[in-house]
Amino acid sequence: MTGSTFQFDFKDLKLAVSQVESVMGYKEGESQETISELVSEVLKEAEEICTMKAEYRFFDDIAFDEAEKTVTINGLVFQIKKIIYSQIKKSDSAALFLCTAGEEIGARSKKSMKEGDLLRGYIYDVVGSEAVEAAADLMQDQLEREINALGKGITNRFSPGYCGWLVAEQHKLFQLLTDNFCEIKLSSSALMYPMKSISGIIGIGKNVKRHPYTCSLCDMKDCIYRRSKA
Amino acid sequence: MDDILSKISSCVEFGKIDKASPYPPDMKGQDGADELTRKAIDDGMKPGDILEKALIPAMAIVGDKFSRKEIYVPQMLMAAKSMSSAMKHLKPFFQSGEAKRKGKFIIGTVAGDLHDIGKNLVAMMIEGGGWEVIDLGVDVGTDKFIKAIDENPGAVIGLSALLTTTMENMKKTVTAIREKKSGIKILVGGAPVTKEYCEKIGADYYSPDPQGAVNYLNQIVS
Repeated sequence: MTGSTFQFDFKDLKLAVSQVESVMGYKEGESQETISELVSEVLKEAEEICTMKAEYRFFDDIAFDEAEKTVTINGLVFQIKKIIYSQIKKSDSAALFLCTAGEEIGARSKKSMKEGDLLRGYIYDVVGSEAVEAAADLMQDQLEREINALGKGITNRFSPGYCGWLVAEQHKLFQLLTDNFCEIKLSSSALMYPMKSISGIIGIGKNVKRHPYTCSLCDMKDCIYRRSKA
Repeated sequence: MDDILSKISSCVEFGKIDKASPYPPDMKGQDGADELTRKAIDDGMKPGDILEKALIPAMAIVGDKFSRKEIYVPQMLMAAKSMSSAMKHLKPFFQSGEAKRKGKFIIGTVAGDLHDIGKNLVAMMIEGGGWEVIDLGVDVGTDKFIKAIDENPGAVIGLSALLTTTMENMKKTVTAIREKKSGIKILVGGAPVTKEYCEKIGADYYSPDPQGAVNYLNQIVS
């Protein structure tokens, strides 16, 4: 058991206009036609430009430190802090993952913003974020099926930068994902390129559970990616 | 208020950029902030009045609605773009000194951080609040902020960060500005930034939303 890599078609993500609008703050039926048309246009464009890739790798060499709220994977200590620690501490192994929507959607967002088309630039940004999360959902579903077949469960996925886990810890995570199928590069400040990429950890074990959604656990109350339903 | 000022104000509040703009649907085919501002100037209206009686109040309404979650980012972006389409007609008068702004505001996302949507929103709202905005962009190092302060004496500084890692660079920037310059007001913002962090790093003000930053700036010059 080492891991898996994936390439998704954008259509597999089944992103709906209403979903994108919901992230932008609109409740069902609240958005205006012009906004919906623009979202629909960007979603169609995203089908052509997004290159959805994901990967996970399994790590059996893990140990938890209750006092420090850390997990050690292959000798590297991750300061995951109390919220994530409490969610994954019963794991007996872990999957580290990467997922990306590719370079182009982020580039088009920047370009539109620079040219003064702020709304379109913003919609590219939201669609890119939703796409990479949806691809990670598909990857996680596949992981769950694989793990369930072994009589075990998985936790939710957790990323550096959320729930108190510092983004800087991403450097350690990338040290463990050496093949980097997603071809994500990391800046010195731990920013991922392409920008529409995510990374993180998923706990695996007989006594762990995947919850429907966990935004409510996080302490970043003003986070722009916080789900309204949380 | 003059009818045309009232119309310009409505265009900005509801994001009607120009005649060609299909948004908002109920103003389709009508002149937008662009045409109406041009007309107001051509009719001899004072640029300062357009700014103070139409644009600034309209953007304040937009900012307040956003703070109260009555509108969302798309409407705010449309309003800001509408405001910009009016401002382009006023810029020559700012340059000549015929119309005056409240002051200068230098904004940038700190070193190592490439996020710009939040920063852009704040910049647009502050410009709409009657300030001249000098946007240094993203991944802005301390030296660039110091240089901009040298070139724009009396300007207020705004620092944005969206990553917990780059918050450290926010701290470094504040420290460097405090060491090299005195009397500079510094605002900070971004998803992971808090009031407590603002106080800890020695910045002057934290706002969770753009209108809070506008209100703080207005308080400085009042």
